[in-house]
Parts: sequence; structure tokens; C-alpha cells
Amino acid sequence: MFFAQLRNELWKLFGKKRTYIGFGAFILAQTAMLLMFKFSRWKIDFEKLLAGNGYMATEYISALTVALLMLWPQILLLMPLYVALVGGDLVAKEAEDGTLRMILSRPISRVRLLLVKWIAGMIFAAVLVVALGVIALGFARLCFPWKGMFIFAQAPLTFALFPANQGLSLYAFSHLFMIVNAITLLSVAFMFSCFNMKPAAATILALSFLFANMVVEHLPFFERYQNWFITHHLESWFLVFQEPQPWAQILQSEIILLAVSATAVIIGAMGFQLRDIKS
Amino acid sequence: MISLDKVHKKFGKRVAVHELTLHVPRGEIFGLLGHNGAGKSTAIGMMLGQVWPTRGEVKLCGYDVAAHRMRALRRVGAIFEAPAFYDYLSGRRNLEILSHYSASTSAERIRQVVEWVGLKGRETSDVKTYSHGMRARLAIAQALLPEPELVILDEPGSGLDPEGIAEMRETIVRLHRELGLTILLSSHLLGEVEQLCSRIAVLNQGRKVFEGLVADVKATRGRVLLKTPEFTKAAALLRERGMITDAVDGSVIVLTEGRTIADAARILVGANISVDGIWPQEQTLEDFYLRLVKAAPGAKSHN
Repeated sequence: MFFAQLRNELWKLFGKKRTYIGFGAFILAQTAMLLMFKFSRWKIDFEKLLAGNGYMATEYISALTVALLMLWPQILLLMPLYVALVGGDLVAKEAEDGTLRMILSRPISRVRLLLVKWIAGMIFAAVLVVALGVIALGFARLCFPWKGMFIFAQAPLTFALFPANQGLSLYAFSHLFMIVNAITLLSVAFMFSCFNMKPAAATILALSFLFANMVVEHLPFFERYQNWFITHHLESWFLVFQEPQPWAQILQSEIILLAVSATAVIIGAMGFQLRDIKS
Repeated sequence: MISLDKVHKKFGKRVAVHELTLHVPRGEIFGLLGHNGAGKSTAIGMMLGQVWPTRGEVKLCGYDVAAHRMRALRRVGAIFEAPAFYDYLSGRRNLEILSHYSASTSAERIRQVVEWVGLKGRETSDVKTYSHGMRARLAIAQALLPEPELVILDEPGSGLDPEGIAEMRETIVRLHRELGLTILLSSHLLGEVEQLCSRIAVLNQGRKVFEGLVADVKATRGRVLLKTPEFTKAAALLRERGMITDAVDGSVIVLTEGRTIADAARILVGANISVDGIWPQEQTLEDFYLRLVKAAPGAKSHN
């Protein structure tokens, strides 16, 4: 029965048009970024940066390099938006539409219902992240050759070069951690969705939580409390591109993110269990 | 089948249901009446474990809903006002989804209920293409999936046109007659309740103000409608013979206890008074309901 219920949730989730907004937005954003990279000063500046460090730009302006460049802002901004949108819908939209009353007139426990919804949400988050990575790489490959990977970032400070095969492995591996990021944000939105509020309110609250973390984390006073902010740990996916990889730090961040997800779901479940479901 | 014992529910400071005690026996069609906000939907929510009572005990099919919700709801179907579905999915897919929240339901069972409610041929269409009447039929189909013993209907006629209401009424009769179900019907449509229900309870501002048989409600002890062109003369004669205690509105007489309509008719015919008709007066449920809620403490008018 559990798998039949999970399949039902996936039918409901992937049957809705709004579930695909994120996928459409990624395609549009990536097309725009690809065109910008190819036809603006962005590419020239990148070539200068490589040449200035003694590397052959032609060897590293590649599909992998550009895919990662395109991925960075989308993981930071678009992905949270779309997982929060879906996470905020999972329970609150059913309550708003009235289908939750239909479900809860049946002999299913509220906790079980939430569990299948959360798992369906996690599957969506994973599919969204994988699609994002595959589309980014596919689009980049259309315009750029398959060569080495170059990564440069200010925070966390990273400057690394990898041969194509190793770059691809790391690119794929980093998606595991991006999936954990997506699950964490979805879980926060899901928690709000379990309380008596509109789906949009749940989404906005989840995004507010994220942006509040982001803003406060970067205030000078809070620098030494970075570990207390979820946004600090959401950057851990990028650490896999550092050499050597700080595995202990990555593992710590992933455990914290999973703990945040579990806590959010438990709080949501408690709120949902206590609440009265009315039309 | 349904048993509520001193069930009380408060939302903040507002009392939605006040010490409600209610018993719905197996096999009955039981009507729950009341104005908007009287507490009907809250009471139904408590029966289905969707609303937690502040105190009191709710039992369905012999099981305490708070302690054994899953057992209590195993053989229960419910339909709500303006039934909500996943409009972007087909009727059949909706039934599959809802069935899996109860127990494993075979494709054959889904086919049976689709046929029973008359949706055969349309079950593969998206629900967004359904009319109000078809949605109501789909709502009945989903309620029938767990092979229920009890069906709870919360304002099932809401939003339906007269044909839809008639169809719903016919379906409720079929549910009772063909499937032998116990039915709890919450409705504003007093005419429907009067035609369908054997017993009713009336809620007014969260309090039960009446519970009893519809037949008792309709019966008006001793009041008889007398149709005659000589009403004043007839009434005077009957009063003189001790047959009646009162005559009102130029058409109603009130028989003295122990006297029958046949006795009165015999006297009138014997006195050569033309009698076009004489029959016991029945009050409608609407008359009874309006009188009841107006007489209730703290009553207000409800338009």
C-alpha cells in the first residue's frame, strides 16, 4: 500500500502543469546564459583569467566549465524558488482545494500521508536537480568542446583545473549534494505547508527563511557563527571541486542539512497532527 | 452506527458544538439540520477524525474515532459540499488515488462503482471536463469504493441544479434500498430531508435543539383541515356536539381528544352541511424547523 500511495502522490505531483514551471525556467535561463557567455565579454574575461595564470584558455573553455558556470546562479536562486513552490504546495494546496478533506475521510494516518508526500517531494527535488545538471551540460556541449574543466570562485575560494573525465565525475558527484540542498529547502517549505496557510504563504515563508539566513550570515558580526546558518552549508556542494576536497567539512554540512530537513518535517507533522481540517 | 457522547468543540473562544449527544442507528437515513454555522460540518469533521473534539467521545461503527480512527473509518464513505478532485486527472485515476488511502481496491471494484453511479464511458476523461452532476456522481463513486456500511453526506445537493438535486435524491434512496447503507445526511434542503430521512436532529448555534422521527414532526395532533363553504356553521355545530376544541383560519378544526375525523364527518353530513374534503393536517418540516429555531434560546433570523 505504501508504494501505491507514493505512486499516487507522484501521479498528482507530475500531473500538474505548475510542477514543470521550474524545468521550463531552467531551460530559458540556461539558453540566455549560454548566449551571454558566447557573445559577451564574459568569455573574454574568463580567457584572460586563465591566460593570466599561465593556462591555455582554449583547453579549458569547455562544455564542463560553462555548464558549471551556468549551474551556480541557478542553484543559488532558481532551484530554491521552484522547490519551495512545490514544497509549499504539497499539503497547503490540497487543503485549499478541498481534496485533503476527501483524503482524510479515509483510514490513513496523517503521519503516513505526510510521509508519502514528503518522499514524493524529495523525488521531485532530485529529478529537478538532475534535470538541471543534464540540461546545463547538454546545452553547453552544443556550443563548447569537450575539454578540461576550470573552476574559479570567490566564496568558497576555489581555483581548480581538472581533465575532462575527472571534471565530469566531480560534476556528477556534486549533484548528490545539490539534491540534499533541494531536499532541505523543500522540507522547510513543506513544514510551513503543514500549517493552516495558503500555499503561496508557505512558499514565501520558506524563501524568507532562506534569504534571512543569507543576509544575516554575511553581516560582519555573524562571520564567526557561519555554521549556524543554513546558507553556509548549502554551499558545500561546491567544495567537491576544491583540491584536496575537505571531506570532513562536506560531511558535516550534509549531516546538518539532513538534520534541518528531518527537524522541519517533524515540526510540520506535529502541527498537522494537531490541526483541525475544515473546509 | 454513529454515536456522539457529550461532544464539545471550541475554536478559540467560540463554541462550535456544545455537548452534542447523537445516536444514528444502523440502517437509517438520518438528517442533520441547521443554519450556516450551526455546527453540522464541525460535527461531521469530528466524526471523520478531521476535527479534534475539545471533549467528549465520538464512535463510528463501534470504534472510538480519536483512539482507533483507522478502524472506525474502514467501512465509511463521505461526500462533501462541492466535492473536490484532481481536475487534471481522469475520473478513474482519481478513484484509484482515493481508493489507495483505504485499502487495496481491485480494478473490478472500481469498474463496478463507475457503472453503479452511471459514469461508464466517461471515466477516462479529465475531471475538469465533468459537469456538476458528473462530479457529484464521481463523489458518490469514491465514497462507495471501500464497500461502506455508513455514508456521511455533507450538503451533497449544494451547487446542483434541480435535475441534479433530484438525481442525488434518487441516488441516496438507491444507496439505502439497494446497498442497505446507513446514511447521515447534512443538508439545508428541508424538502429533501423530509422526503429521505426517517429521523432528524436539528442544531442551532452549536446546540442540539431537537432529535426525533420525521413522522412525529409532521404529525400535528388533532388538527384537521376541513374544506366546506359553510365553515362557520360547521365549526359551531361540531363545537356544540363537543367534537372540537378550536377552529382557526377558516379551514382548520382541532378535534377533542378521543374524537375522530370519521365522527366529525358523520355529524356534518347528517346535518346536510356540504363537505368538500376533510383530512388530517400535516405540518411541513420547514414549518417545524422554522418554529424550532425561532423558539430556541438566543435565536436569530436566518435568511
